[in-house]
Amino acid sequence: MQTNTSINKKTGRSINDAFASKFAKSMFLSVSALVILSFIGTRMFTHVDLNLYGYMVGTIVFIGGFFYRFIAWGERPPTKILIKKGLKLLKRKSTPKTAVNHLGIYDFIKNRGLYRWVQHILIGWGCVLACMVTFPLVFGWMYFTMDDNGHYTIVLMGLNLMTVKADGIIAWFSYNALNISASMVIAGVCMALHRRLKNMQARAEQKFIYDFLPLYLLLFISITGLLLTVQNVFLHGWMQPQMSLIHQFSVIVTLIYLPFGKLAHIPFRPVSVFARNYREHYGDQAMKECKVCGDHFVSVEQSNDVINVLGVNEMEFNMQDGFNLAELCLPCRRKYRISRFSGFATHQVKVKEANQNAKG
Amino acid sequence: MKKRLYLELENCIGCRSCLAACTQCGGHEERNRNYVYDVNPLVNRQTMPLMCLHCVNPACARSCPAQAIQIHETGAVLSALVEKCIGCQNCTIACPYGIPKFDTEQNLMYKCDLCIDRSKDGIPPMCASVCPSNTLQWLTDEEIEAKQKQFNLDNGKWVTSMPYLEGETNVRVNLPGILQGVTKLF
Ligand code: SF4
Ligand code: SF4
Ligand code: SF4
Repeated sequence: MQTNTSINKKTGRSINDAFASKFAKSMFLSVSALVILSFIGTRMFTHVDLNLYGYMVGTIVFIGGFFYRFIAWGERPPTKILIKKGLKLLKRKSTPKTAVNHLGIYDFIKNRGLYRWVQHILIGWGCVLACMVTFPLVFGWMYFTMDDNGHYTIVLMGLNLMTVKADGIIAWFSYNALNISASMVIAGVCMALHRRLKNMQARAEQKFIYDFLPLYLLLFISITGLLLTVQNVFLHGWMQPQMSLIHQFSVIVTLIYLPFGKLAHIPFRPVSVFARNYREHYGDQAMKECKVCGDHFVSVEQSNDVINVLGVNEMEFNMQDGFNLAELCLPCRRKYRISRFSGFATHQVKVKEANQNAKG
Repeated sequence: MKKRLYLELENCIGCRSCLAACTQCGGHEERNRNYVYDVNPLVNRQTMPLMCLHCVNPACARSCPAQAIQIHETGAVLSALVEKCIGCQNCTIACPYGIPKFDTEQNLMYKCDLCIDRSKDGIPPMCASVCPSNTLQWLTDEEIEAKQKQFNLDNGKWVTSMPYLEGETNVRVNLPGILQGVTKLF
């Protein structure tokens, strides 16, 4: 915070002075962006679907919660450094590949178990698909018109994207996208619930509010959404307005909850791409050598960043015998601790740490 | 009654039961999170365990950009939350004792969580339950104090934790008597 104010003072009057806080500024900018996009998308508000206004309110509350959390989080010293350097490194060649790996196909989750991976793909992509359909509709970025019988025109951002046959395959996918996504989410959530109830490893660490609530919310949204279709197709729209309200309500509650619980990892997760870029980029530049064994164990940049962050928290690990613990690789650091306990310089004995995995 | 993990390092006989036990704790997915070291491997058989000391002001959690390392109300410093850890490995190089382990394949840090599913209910952690030599114990503060009295040599050599560590810790460590030339009766 302090560095911020001093920067603002130096540059004299900046645009930031117009806002009471970072939060106010971010809120203002994103709500304006939403309004402008909707203005363009709906051909100057001539195609607004007012049935969906509950979602609009929900989205704006979500944006508020998101910025509130994100800004508080981004102010923490380690996060600040990572975001700043990560943004700079976004142009790396490997960024698209890393992003697909981390955010699209979740390779690392596959390594945590195939079951968890399938479950995450179903829930993750189900939600993404649903959002990609719902929000453009809510804000009028996309809508359908029927000019001549039997053909729909899909209008995207005010431009006629394409005309499709009403009983064609693209039209079928458009009507059913939300049903497909709901089925995916229901399948994924059921897998997750099954694991949470049966698997002892998962049961050991879970908490009801943190681990189950988001699953039940997603399940509720998906089931009420599917019921809407059922009412439409089989019950001639019986009770549909009521169900539509319940569904809308469940989505709004989830949106409001999203930045604060387990689901918060969705908007924050892209930072893992920053982290990978950061490690690769600075790792190529210069590696730090362990003061005792000479191993390259981390990039110089990261080591310095961590030392700085710990410095902010008034932690400095300078030893009486002259070095700083940050200069030791991890095995040497552990052996050094043993030496502090025993009085014998274990870390100076050139023997690899032996038998650390309980395999006989 | 709040109990703590208490280490009497010189008792260690190097059986590595604690490593095996750690793999069996719930949520550990059969990987251990602690260490046992030979003190002077080429000369004698003295060993000592090393595990997370659950710092009061944990460097690992302070350095984590994702707030993935949470501190439990019991004071235990937990392992990374799987959905939050972004795999930067800051924590591994921040810890003054080199405790957190990192799985590059899963892009995930894991560390001793004091077997939180057990210790939050007052059940001793896995490693302390199996240790055959009383190196790892699960004691109340009064019991630890009683031990201190029992071994009080009035020469400042029996010390728990500070000032031999880098900060206050929730785990108490007893500096070894044998290696300081003090004979101890069990
Ligand atoms: S000993 Fe290391 S891993 Fe354990 S709490 Fe302290 S800093 Fe974190
Ligand atoms: S590796 Fe994970 S737990 Fe460790 S500092 Fe990075 S994000 Fe936090
Ligand atoms: S307390 Fe539990 S997690 Fe920590 S080293 Fe012991 S067995 Fe492993």
